[in-house]
Amino acid sequence: MSKGVLVDVTRCIACRSCMVSCKSWNDLPSIPGGFQNNWDAPGKMDANNWTVVNNYMIEDGDDIKWRFVKKQCMHCLEPACESACFTHSFVKTKEGAVIYKPTTLNQDYCVGCRYCMIACPFGVPSFQWDKAFPYVLKCRFCYDRMKEEGLEPACVTSCPTQTLKFGDREELLAEAWDRINKNPNYVKRVYGEKEYGGTSWLYISDVPFDKIGFRTEAYGKPVTERSIPSLTWDVLKWTPAIFFGWGALLTAMRAYTKRRAEVHDESEMYAPVDPKE
Amino acid sequence: MQIGRNWSFRITAFRMLLFAFVAIAVAAALYRFVYGLGAVTNLSDEWPWGLWIGFDLLCGIALAGGGFSTALIVHVLHKDKYLPIARAALLTSLIGYIIALVSLFLDIGRWYNFWRPFFYWGFHSVLFEVFWCISLYTTVQVLEFGDIFFEKVNFPAMKKILGALMTPMLILGIVLPSLHQSSLGSLYIVAIDRLYPLWWSMIIPFFFVWSAFFLGPAMVTVEGTLAARAYGREPEMHVFESLTKVTLWMMVIYLIVKIIDLVYRGVFSMAFNGSYESNMFLIEMIGFVVIPIIMYAIPSIRTKLWGVLTASILVVVGVIFNRMNVVFTGMAKAAGGSYFPSFWEWMITIGMWSALVLLYCFVVENFPILSKEDHVSHGHDFASKPGIHA
Amino acid sequence: MTNSFTDYKNSDVFFCIGANPAENHPQAMRFIGIAKATRGAKLIVTDPRFTKTAAHADIYAPLRPGTDIAFLYGIMNYAIQNNLYHHEYVVNYTNASYLVSPEYSFKDGEFSGLTEKDSVFSYDMKSWVYQKNGDAVKKDPTLQDPNCVFQILKQHVSRYDIKTVCNITGTPEDLYKKVCDLYCSTGKPGKAGNLLYAMGITQHTYGGQNVRATAMLQLLLGNIGIAGGGVNAQRGESNVQGSTDMAMLYHLLPGYLPMPNAAPHSTLKDYQATTPKSGYWTNRPKFMVSMLKAWYGDKATQENDFCYDWVPKLDGKDHSHMAIFQDMDAGKVKGFFAWGQNPAVGGPSAIVAKKAMENLDWMVAIDLFETETAAFWKRPGANPADIKTEVFMLPAAFSYEKEGSVANSSRWIQWRWKAVEPPVEAKSDLWICDRLMKAVRNEYKSGGVFTEPIFSMTWDYDIPHHDEPDIIKVANEMNGFTVADGKVLSSFGALKDDGSTACGIWIYTGYMFEDPVLKVPACQRRSREDKSNLGLFPKWSFSWPLNRRIVYNRCSADPSGKPWDPKRTLVEWDGTKWITNDVPDFGFKDAATGTFIPPEKSAASPYIMTVEGVSRLFAPVGMSDGPIPEHYEPVESPVKNIMGKRQNNPLYARYKGDFAKIADVGSTDFPYVATTHRLVEHYQSGIVTRNCPTLAMLMPEMFATISPGLAQKLGINAGDLVAVSSARGEIKCKANVLPIIKPLNINGKEIEIVGLPWCWGYQSLVPGATANDLTPCVGDPNTKIPESKAFLCNIKKA
Ligand SMILES: Nc1nc2c(c(=O)[nH]1)N[C@H]1C(S)=C(S)[C@@H](COP(=O)(O)OP(=O)(O)OC[C@H]3O[C@@H](n4cnc5c(=O)[nH]c(N)nc54)[C@H](O)[C@@H]3O)O[C@H]1N2
Ligand SMILES: Nc1nc2c(c(=O)[nH]1)N[C@H]1C(S)=C(S)[C@@H](COP(=O)(O)OP(=O)(O)OC[C@H]3O[C@@H](n4cnc5c(=O)[nH]c(N)nc54)[C@H](O)[C@@H]3O)O[C@H]1N2
Ligand code: SF4
Ligand code: SF4
Ligand code: SF4
Ligand code: SF4
Ligand code: SF4
Ligand SMILES: [Mo]
Repeated sequence: MSKGVLVDVTRCIACRSCMVSCKSWNDLPSIPGGFQNNWDAPGKMDANNWTVVNNYMIEDGDDIKWRFVKKQCMHCLEPACESACFTHSFVKTKEGAVIYKPTTLNQDYCVGCRYCMIACPFGVPSFQWDKAFPYVLKCRFCYDRMKEEGLEPACVTSCPTQTLKFGDREELLAEAWDRINKNPNYVKRVYGEKEYGGTSWLYISDVPFDKIGFRTEAYGKPVTERSIPSLTWDVLKWTPAIFFGWGALLTAMRAYTKRRAEVHDESEMYAPVDPKE
Repeated sequence: MQIGRNWSFRITAFRMLLFAFVAIAVAAALYRFVYGLGAVTNLSDEWPWGLWIGFDLLCGIALAGGGFSTALIVHVLHKDKYLPIARAALLTSLIGYIIALVSLFLDIGRWYNFWRPFFYWGFHSVLFEVFWCISLYTTVQVLEFGDIFFEKVNFPAMKKILGALMTPMLILGIVLPSLHQSSLGSLYIVAIDRLYPLWWSMIIPFFFVWSAFFLGPAMVTVEGTLAARAYGREPEMHVFESLTKVTLWMMVIYLIVKIIDLVYRGVFSMAFNGSYESNMFLIEMIGFVVIPIIMYAIPSIRTKLWGVLTASILVVVGVIFNRMNVVFTGMAKAAGGSYFPSFWEWMITIGMWSALVLLYCFVVENFPILSKEDHVSHGHDFASKPGIHA
Repeated sequence: MTNSFTDYKNSDVFFCIGANPAENHPQAMRFIGIAKATRGAKLIVTDPRFTKTAAHADIYAPLRPGTDIAFLYGIMNYAIQNNLYHHEYVVNYTNASYLVSPEYSFKDGEFSGLTEKDSVFSYDMKSWVYQKNGDAVKKDPTLQDPNCVFQILKQHVSRYDIKTVCNITGTPEDLYKKVCDLYCSTGKPGKAGNLLYAMGITQHTYGGQNVRATAMLQLLLGNIGIAGGGVNAQRGESNVQGSTDMAMLYHLLPGYLPMPNAAPHSTLKDYQATTPKSGYWTNRPKFMVSMLKAWYGDKATQENDFCYDWVPKLDGKDHSHMAIFQDMDAGKVKGFFAWGQNPAVGGPSAIVAKKAMENLDWMVAIDLFETETAAFWKRPGANPADIKTEVFMLPAAFSYEKEGSVANSSRWIQWRWKAVEPPVEAKSDLWICDRLMKAVRNEYKSGGVFTEPIFSMTWDYDIPHHDEPDIIKVANEMNGFTVADGKVLSSFGALKDDGSTACGIWIYTGYMFEDPVLKVPACQRRSREDKSNLGLFPKWSFSWPLNRRIVYNRCSADPSGKPWDPKRTLVEWDGTKWITNDVPDFGFKDAATGTFIPPEKSAASPYIMTVEGVSRLFAPVGMSDGPIPEHYEPVESPVKNIMGKRQNNPLYARYKGDFAKIADVGSTDFPYVATTHRLVEHYQSGIVTRNCPTLAMLMPEMFATISPGLAQKLGINAGDLVAVSSARGEIKCKANVLPIIKPLNINGKEIEIVGLPWCWGYQSLVPGATANDLTPCVGDPNTKIPESKAFLCNIKKA
C-alpha cells in the first residue's frame, strides 16, 4: 500500500518540532544564519534542511490570518526528479517514498548535474553547494524508519497537534475530503490529490492554497494535473523512431545524391593557413 | 613559436591575453574542484543552472550546429559547392562540443562520476539522451577529424580504417546531433508551469533542433568571415550567399510554426501583454528572426558581404538570445530569488572561449582545414585588405 | 491547573488570556485542536500580541499589557447584568451568599483598612471578615442583602461597563462584546468554558489579583470542577509544578504547608495552632509532623516537638528573588548558589542584578552550561580584573541524563528514566546535593555552631558500590511510609500526627505506591486506559492529590448529585450510590463502614480545601492587597488610572538602590508600552536552546516587534538594528515589523506596544541582548513575581 501524509494546515502552530526531529533523525547539520522578520528561519529548504515550516501572514483589512505550513518533498506519485535523473539516483518506492541514493549499489552514481532540481515542480531537491563532492538532498519520507522499523516519519511522530497524519494515501485522501465536507471553513481542495499527477503528501487548508506558498495556477492557468514524466515521455518515446528513421533516410539520400556528385580528393582542397601570411 | 619540426603557433599580444584568460580560468576551475560550486558560482537551489549550462553548454552546442548542418548539406545532399567550408564547420563544431563538455565537467557536482550514465541507464531521462548523443557525437567528430589529422600526421593505415568508417560516421554525425539538439529543448518540457508559456511548448525540441540547424549556415558565415579577416584571406562569399537560401526558408518555417504553436496553445496574446517576458520574446522574434528573414530575402542585402554578415550575426545572436530566454528570462518568475553569474563564472567562461579561439587558430595553422586559396576564385575587394593577424 | 491537558478535549469555549500555548505549551494545542475538530469548540485569545495561538482563535481580542482585571471584570459585569451567570452554582458552591462585615468598604481605589507606615502600605484585614452568628457565618441565599458577597461583587464590577473597560484595555468595543457573549455562553449547565492563563496574567504588580479574577469569572460561570472547564495555569518549565509542590518558594514548606515564622511560631504548638478550623486543612498537623519525621527520622520524637526547632524559620522579611538581589547589591549577601537558574538573563532589571553579583565573595553555578550568570564577570562592558568573586562551576546532568519524577501542569507526577549518560564529569543534581551534604558534614566534624540539625537529618541514600544515591529511596520518603515497617503509603489519609508515619510531601502520597494490576509504582504507570472516554487516563502516571484528575469535581454535579452535563459525568449520585469516573474530591464514602455518603453533605462543602467549604468570590483572607481585585495601572504606565485615585496597587513590592529606577506615568522619554514573551524555539533564559545548533538556527537573533505603523513613523525597516531603552538601560537588537502588534486606542490616546522575547544573553552559539536589562524591579505583594509584562520603553534606530 502506498503511504502518504495528510497535512492539515489549520492545525499547525509552527512549533517546528518536525524540523528538529527531521534534523536529528537524518543527522543534518545546523548552521545558524540571520534574523528573519517572518520568524521562519532558515526560510527555505536546502540540503541541510529537508523540511521547513513557512509562515504566511494574510491581511484582509484589520483581519489577519497567520498560517504555518510545513514543506518538504511531496513524494509525487510519478516523480519528475526520478524521471529526470539519468543515473537512477532517485527511485519511487512501492511504499510511496521518493528517495535519493536509493540502494547501496548506486548510492554514489549521481553526477551532480542538478537536472532533478530543474525537473521538480515543487523546487524541492537541494544541492550541497559548499561541498567538493556534493550530493543532491531532500526529504526521504523517512524510508528507513518506514521500511526497517515500521515507524512513521520522524516529523509526524513529533508533531504535537496532529497536523501531520501518516497512513495509506487513499485512506488519507478520503479522510481529507471527509474533513473538508464536514467543515465549511476548509477550502474545497486537497492539494496533492491531482497536481502533477498527484503526490503522496496531501494538504488541506482553510485559506486558499496560493496564499500559503502553493502554486495553484501558472501564468493564468491552473497548474497541470498530468505528471511531468508522462509529458517528457510523450516526446522521448519518439527517440528510437527518429534515430532509425532519420538515419535510414539520410543513408538513402546520401546514396542517391552520391551517384550524381563529382568525386573529389578532399585532401587536395585544403591546406593549413600560414599565420605569417 | 615553433613546436617541434611540424608544428608552429604564432604568439601575438592578443593571443597572450587569451592565454592569460585561460590561465585564470584554470586556476578558478581548480579552486572550484576543491571548494565546491558554491565557492565560485552564484548558483543556488533556485538557480541550479547558470551561465555555464545556459551559455557554454546550450549555446556552445547550438553554435556548433554548423557542423551537422554543413555535413548534411555537403555529405548527404552532396551540394559540393559548400565543400570549402565543410572542414572549418567541422572544426568549430568539434571545438564547440569540447567546450560544452568541459563546461559540463566543471558544472556537474560529482564530476568524477561523469561516466556513470554509460553504465547505469536512466533512459526515461531526457538528459540520458542528451548525454549519450553528445558523447557519441563528439567521438564521431573526433574520428571525423582523425581523417584530417592523419592527413598531416602520416599514418595511412589509420586513414584507411577511418575512410571505411566514414559513411556510417557521417550519418551518425547528423542523426545524433539532430537528436540531442532537440533534446536540449526537451529538457525544458519538465519546466511546464514554470518556463514562461511563450517558450515552454511540447514542441520545444523542434524549435531547438530547427534553430540549431538554421544557425549552422549563419555560424559558418560569421566564423568564415572572421577567419578570413584574421588570416587576410578572401571570405567564401559565394558559399555564404547561397547558404542564405537554406537559412531563409528554415527561418520562415520556424516563424510560422512558432506562431501556430502559440495560437494553438492559446498564449499568443501573452506576447503582447507588456510583461518583461513578452518584451524579451518580441525582441527575440522580431530582432533576431523577422529582421534576418527580411535581410536574407532581399537580394541586394543578401549578396553583399556586410548584408549577409549582419543578418548571420543577428541569427547567431538570436539563437543565443533564445537559449538565454529559456534558461533565464522564462524561468525567473517561477524560480524566485535572483541569479547573476559571479565574477569567477564569467572568468571561467571567458577562459573557455579564449581556449576555443586559441585552439582554432592552432588547428587551422597546422592542419588542412581551410580551403586552398586558389580554390577561391570570386574576388572581393575585401580580400585585398591586409589581414588582421589575430 | 484544576483540570488536565487531556481534559481540554471536553471544552466548549477556551478563553486564553495571557498565555500563548502555541509557543509555550504545544501539547495543550493538541487538545484544543481536538476540541475544535470534534466538538466545534471556540477559542478566544486575549493578548497584546497577535500570537501563534491567536492565529487559531475564533476571536482575538487585543488588550494593553496590564489591564486584565478590567478585561475580566467587564465580562463578569456583563454576565451579571445579563443574567448569564450560573446561578445555582454561584449560590451553592461559592460564598456569594455570605454576608461581609458592614465595616468593609471600597473607595478611591482603596479597600478599607489601608495603613501606611514609613511609606510602606499594608491592609488591616479585619473589616473584610464575614458577619457571624456565633460560629456560623450569616448568609442570604437570595443574594439580595447589600452586604452579601454577590452584591458587593455586583456593585464593584458594575463600574466596569464595556465602554470603561475598552477605554482601559484598548480593545475595540464590538470585539469585546463578542468575547463577552461567547464566553458567557458557558454560564449555563451543560456548557464548559476553559480558562487558560499564564505569565501574561501573573507577571504584574497585581498578578495575584489577576489570577483571582480569572477564578472568579470561572466561578460565576460555573466552570470549575467540571470536565472541560477549570482555571488552567499553563505552568512553566516541565517540572515547575514539582518545584512549587516541593517548596521552591521561600514562604512555603513542601505540599504548600506554610513556612513557620520565627516570632509567632516559635514552637510546634504555635505553628499547629494556626491550623484552619474547618476544611481539609484541619489535617495539617498530620502532614507537618509526618514531614518532620521524614526529615529527622528517629531523632524526631513527640518529646522534642519532632525537631521543629531545627526547621529554619522566616524572619518576617522579604527573601524573594528580588529581595535577595537587592541585598546582594547592598553587599549583604556574600555567597550564592545559582543552582539551575540564570538570573543574569531571567531576573528583572538584570542589568543591575549583574552588577550586584560583583559584590559576591563566591558563586557556585550548578548548570549544564556556563550561563550568563556564571559568566557575569566577563559580561560585555565588565572588567574581569576588577571583579573579585570566585566562581565555581559544577557541571550538572540534563533531565534526560538522569532518573526521577517531574510534575507537569496537570499535576501529573511522571517518572522518567535516564535516556543517555551525562557527558564527561556532569552529575545528577541528586548526586551533587548528596556530596555537598556529606562534605558539609565532614567540615562540621571538627566543630561548629549549631551542628545538630546537620548531623541529625536523615541522609541515608547510599547504595553500596554505586556512585549515584538511591533515588527510589528518596522518592519513597517523599511519598510517605509507616515508620514501624517502612511500608509505602497509598493515601495521605493514613498520615498521623503522632510520629508513626513519615512523609516528605503529603500531596504526593500514593505516587510511589505500587499499582496492584500494573505492578509498578503509580507514577511509573503508562496505561492509556480511559473508560470514561473523558481523557482522564487514571492509569497514566499519578495525579496529585490521590490520583484525582479534576479537582473540586463535586461541582460537576448539582447539589443533589445530578451532573450538570450527563455527557461529561465525573461523579454522579444515582440515588443510592456514587458513580465515579474520577477520584471524588469530597467525602463520598465512609472510610470506616464503606457506605456511601449522600450528596447533601458534600454539596455543603464542595471546596474541601477552604475553611468555608465553598469557593471565594470574595476573599476575607489570603490576599494581602484586597479581598477582591481592582484595576490598577502597571507601575510604569503611559496613562492615568481612570478607575480611581490610586494609580498603582498600593502594596506593590518595590526595592532599593539601583533597583528602584522607575519611569514616570506618561513618560515622554519612554512613550511605548513594552511587554516580554517567549518563543517556542527557546527555553527560558535560553542558555540550553541557544546552545542547541538546530534551535539556534531556527531562532538566531534577538529582536523587538513593533507595529508596521510605528516602524514607518520611526523610519525603521524590518531587520534594522534598533536600540530599545527603559529607565534601567538600553539594549540593541533587530527590528521585527509585523502586524501581530498594532497600536491600541487607550481612552483616546494611541498607544504603541513593543514586544520583546527575553531568551537571549551574551553566552552561547547565538548570543543576543537581554530583554530583562530593561524590566523594572517591582512585583506582586503576594507572590513577589516581577512585573515583566508591562513597562515603559523607547525604541530608536540604532
Ligand atoms: N518554548 C518555551 N516554552 C515554555 C517556556 C519557554 O521559555 N519557552 N517557558 C515555560 C515557563 S517557565 C512558563 S512560566 C510558561 C509561560 O508561558 P506563557 O505565559 O504562555 O509565556 P509568555 O510568552 O511569557 O507570555 C504569554 C503571553 O502573555 C502575553 N502578555 C504580555 N502581557 C500581557 C498582559 O498584560 N495581559 C495579557 N493578557 N497577556 C499579556 C504575551 O504577549 C504572551 O503572548 O511557558 C513554559 N513553556
Ligand atoms: N522578562 C521576563 N522575564 C522572565 C519571564 C518573563 O516572562 N519575562 N519569565 C519568568 C519565569 S516564568 C521563569 S520560570 C524564570 C526562569 O528563569 P530561570 O530559572 O533563571 O531560567 P532558566 O533558563 O530556566 O534557568 C534554568 C537553568 O538551569 C539549567 N538546567 C537545566 N536543567 C538542569 C538540571 O537538570 N540541573 C541543573 N543543575 N541545571 C539545569 C539551565 O542550563 C539553565 O541555566 O524567568 C522569569 N523571567
Ligand atoms: S516533489 Fe520534487 S523531489 Fe519530491 S518527488 Fe516530486 S519531483 Fe521529486
Ligand atoms: S544531480 Fe544526480 S540525482 Fe539529480 S539528476 Fe543529476 S545525477 Fe540524477
Ligand atoms: S519524512 Fe523524514 S525526511 Fe521527510 S521531512 Fe519528515 S522527518 Fe524529514
Ligand atoms: S510539528 Fe506539527 S505543529 Fe509543529 S510545526 Fe511541524 S507540522 Fe506544525
Ligand atoms: S514539555 Fe516538551 S513535549 Fe511537552 S509541550 Fe513542552 S516541548 Fe512539547
Ligand atoms: Mo515560569
